Amino acid sequence: MLPAISAFLGRLRSLFRGRRMESEMSEELAFHRERLREKYLQEGMSEKAAERAARVRLGNAQRWQERLRELWSFRILEELTRDIRFSLRLLWKSPGFTAVGLATLALGVSANTAVFSLINSLLLRPLAVPQAQQMVVLSTQEGAPQPGYSFCTPFFRGLEGKGDVFQNVFAFVNDTLQVRGESGNVNVHGVMVSGQYFPAMQVKPVMGRYLTPADDQEGGGSSGFAVVISEDFWKTWFNGVPDVVGRSLMIANASFTVVGVIPKSFTGADPTHHPQIYAPLSADPIIDAPRDHLHGGTHAWWLTVMARLQPGVDLEKANAALQAVSTGVLHTSTGEADWIKDEEQHHFHFAAEPGSNGFAYVRSVFRKPLLMMFGMCGGLLLLACLNLASLLLARGAVRERELATRRALGATRLRLIRQLMIESLFLATLGTGLGMALTPIVGHALAAMLSGGSGPDSMSLDISPDWRLYGFAAAVAFIAAVLIGLMPAWRATEGDLNEQIKNGQHAQQQRRQTRLIPRLLMISQVALALILVSGAALLATSLVRLYRSGLGFDPHGVVNISFSMDKQQLDGEPLMEVYRQIWDGLKTAPGVKDVSFQFVVPLSHRGWNGHYAAPGGERHLLWLNSVGPDYFNTMRIPLDQGRGFTWSDTKSSGLKIILNRSAAKLFFPQGGAIGRQIVDRDKVAYEVVAVVGDAKYRDVRGPAAPAGYVPMQQDSQKKPSLSAVVRVDGPWQPLVQFSRELTARLVPSIPAPVIRPMDEVVDTSINTERMMALLGVFFAGCSLLVTAIGLYGTLSYATARRTNEIGIRIALGAQRRRVMAMIFRENAVVATIGCGAGLAVAVSLSTVLTSFLYETSTRDPWIFAGATFTLVCVASAASLLPAVRASWIDPMQAIRSE
Amino acid sequence: MIREENTDSGSLLQGTLEMLVLKALARGPQHGYAVAEWIHHVSHQLLKVEEGALYPALHRLEMRGFLNAEWGASENNRRAKFYRLTAEGTKRLDAESQRWARLSAAVAFVMQSS
Repeated sequence: MLPAISAFLGRLRSLFRGRRMESEMSEELAFHRERLREKYLQEGMSEKAAERAARVRLGNAQRWQERLRELWSFRILEELTRDIRFSLRLLWKSPGFTAVGLATLALGVSANTAVFSLINSLLLRPLAVPQAQQMVVLSTQEGAPQPGYSFCTPFFRGLEGKGDVFQNVFAFVNDTLQVRGESGNVNVHGVMVSGQYFPAMQVKPVMGRYLTPADDQEGGGSSGFAVVISEDFWKTWFNGVPDVVGRSLMIANASFTVVGVIPKSFTGADPTHHPQIYAPLSADPIIDAPRDHLHGGTHAWWLTVMARLQPGVDLEKANAALQAVSTGVLHTSTGEADWIKDEEQHHFHFAAEPGSNGFAYVRSVFRKPLLMMFGMCGGLLLLACLNLASLLLARGAVRERELATRRALGATRLRLIRQLMIESLFLATLGTGLGMALTPIVGHALAAMLSGGSGPDSMSLDISPDWRLYGFAAAVAFIAAVLIGLMPAWRATEGDLNEQIKNGQHAQQQRRQTRLIPRLLMISQVALALILVSGAALLATSLVRLYRSGLGFDPHGVVNISFSMDKQQLDGEPLMEVYRQIWDGLKTAPGVKDVSFQFVVPLSHRGWNGHYAAPGGERHLLWLNSVGPDYFNTMRIPLDQGRGFTWSDTKSSGLKIILNRSAAKLFFPQGGAIGRQIVDRDKVAYEVVAVVGDAKYRDVRGPAAPAGYVPMQQDSQKKPSLSAVVRVDGPWQPLVQFSRELTARLVPSIPAPVIRPMDEVVDTSINTERMMALLGVFFAGCSLLVTAIGLYGTLSYATARRTNEIGIRIALGAQRRRVMAMIFRENAVVATIGCGAGLAVAVSLSTVLTSFLYETSTRDPWIFAGATFTLVCVASAASLLPAVRASWIDPMQAIRSE
Repeated sequence: MIREENTDSGSLLQGTLEMLVLKALARGPQHGYAVAEWIHHVSHQLLKVEEGALYPALHRLEMRGFLNAEWGASENNRRAKFYRLTAEGTKRLDAESQRWARLSAAVAFVMQSS
């Protein structure tokens, strides 16, 4: 063994058996002394003289043992443990300071890591496939600034075979599948994938095989349609039976054969969806019946298309190749000639962009708010660090004499800095640790907020920690420690130590210079807090205005109960009869006041529109909905003129339509809409039977769009899946069980209806705004609290150092009010400069919020004035306390205490 | 907090002492007192090993794996720590004595030159 290694092991051993080694050392020395004494006795010395001679010869045994101990120990490690113990003792001695430091830091860190975990899962984490960097997302460019990510079947099939730059081109579409369970159909999250999807992903199935191009053919493969299921689905649906491959699943009333199980680690090409079932694209006419996107030509834009690059091919080459085939694919797309010509004029072409982390539609929605939030969190963390730094600095000033004494006793400056750094590192690690412990809770809360409750379009974000998150947390802890510790440590140990010892409390002469740094720290704290507070004020004002803007209907106490009727047998009149029975049934439910039906749930981001014209007038875009009898009463939409729909508005009674005010004004500017007709593109005429109030349709932001309502019985759609709108008095939860039993009795084959309160739909539709405003206000509150603590803490420390001086002032006749004003002024200056600086930055930064604000100017003077006022109030309150305390100093005691 | 640093001359002496200690133990396991006595005796009372140097040297050698230490009974039946050369230690002794022979011969050449 190398001597160095042996020595290292020896030291390591000595770490764990320190006590035993000590006693062995003293025993060894005692033995030596004994032998020396015996030798001297033999040489004829007296007992006493021999004893003394032996002792003199060996010298100070303590010093010896020290040397031996040094030999066996890691010097740095020992010193480090001593420093840590010392720091712990110091922190323990001021629990208030420690608690505040830890709490602010934990808050800042948990907010940062939680938001980072969202960013990580949504924007950064690559797909769990080999060579993810080869993945690209394909898009269509038609001259618009934003590329289109939706493809129609002909476009995709046209690109699928282009193998010179791509190994595979594949398409997928998230979908909800109706799977036959023990008691009727159940909705299962799934995805339809093209034949090249799995070959491109290169994932090995847990068992069986994955889907191949042979499965993605009309009518399925040689033995019918095949599906691959997820490991989770295998375990929950099939109880993990080993012979699951070959079993059949009834999906949308058709038989599918399970051919493989996909491992848990693979969650598909969309990181925000975790499909349970992977079905071939060619099964769309069955799965989405009665709709058929597969054969919808250039009218069904339903696919997301991705590709895997050939090794050695870069994006530029791929884009060039795509550009070259674009026109060809466009011309063979079977689109109308007019449309093709129009597209060509807009320089239509395909394009590829990096897709190593898959494609998620929500990314484009949440990228900006998430980064925005990240910025706010960073501000909060910076504030927490600045606050701790200034508190440590103030405390360091109090400890000046202790440090000077230690330096005078021979401690090197490096050693002192190390010790002070350890103190702050300790705070930082503990704070970060606490923050990390809180991260999952905060993260899940944020993810839940972001994913929009339990709605059908909700996404699932995997925010489990990975190396990126740990790395980020470590970086945060490190930066926090350095920010918090280095400056106070460096400041506290500089300067002439003789002066410091001599002066002690009276170190007045350098005050101006030495107090510049703490003041700068406090000023930036106040400025940062003001920025956060005014940002939050802008967001909150906008949210309040959004809620106040008026929806045109009253969502409180309304629930939507959606029924999936698309896979059952009935259609037309018999289906309407079922709806009528549901209507009658729901009316008898406890607490139910009004019941009606609607096709499109307002603000659910779904829509249906068409172009209509009054006879002889211009064509206009009209948003449409098909609704049931008593709809406007149920939704509390005012009926201006005419009548609502009834059950007798059937297909044979002549087509009717109800317009909202905006639409009525658009088609009949002169008024008198009732009884008139409007016609659609196919010259079918609808008779206007009523005009109703404007209600928001797709978006809360902006005024209500022109909209028309048609009776549900006259809807030309096949097997429409409608939602019942029910206005309830009291809790709606009992309706869940009631509607389930009702459906089981009336239409047993359909999945259990999904219930969603209208309030939740409204909240979800503006969840980005809500989340940002909520977080903004929360962060602003935290920053106010932190700033208050900082202002109070630093001023208290500073005043404590001046007790003596203040005592003398009072003894010499200074009025207590003047003393109070003098102390208060110190912070007043800091707060004023900080507010000024913060206001300037806030006003110039506020423009980044523009896209999140609704009817709120980023320069609104009232909002900024309010934010400043709040901050000034908080700062005054925090500064008043030490000032009042200073004015009550007893001059006799203060002077005597020196 | 005061750090003691070894001077250059100290490390030279240290190396020599370590060689002598290894040599003393080449005859068989010994405790520290016997090592000091043997060196004193064999050197015709010319070399007197300070305890303050001896024990750190013994421990250093033990730590680096040249010596093994175990507790045993001394000649007058007291518990004492006995040091024994390891295989590494024997090798080290050979290397050191060769180095020493070369060094002393060289010094002798220099000193005897006219």
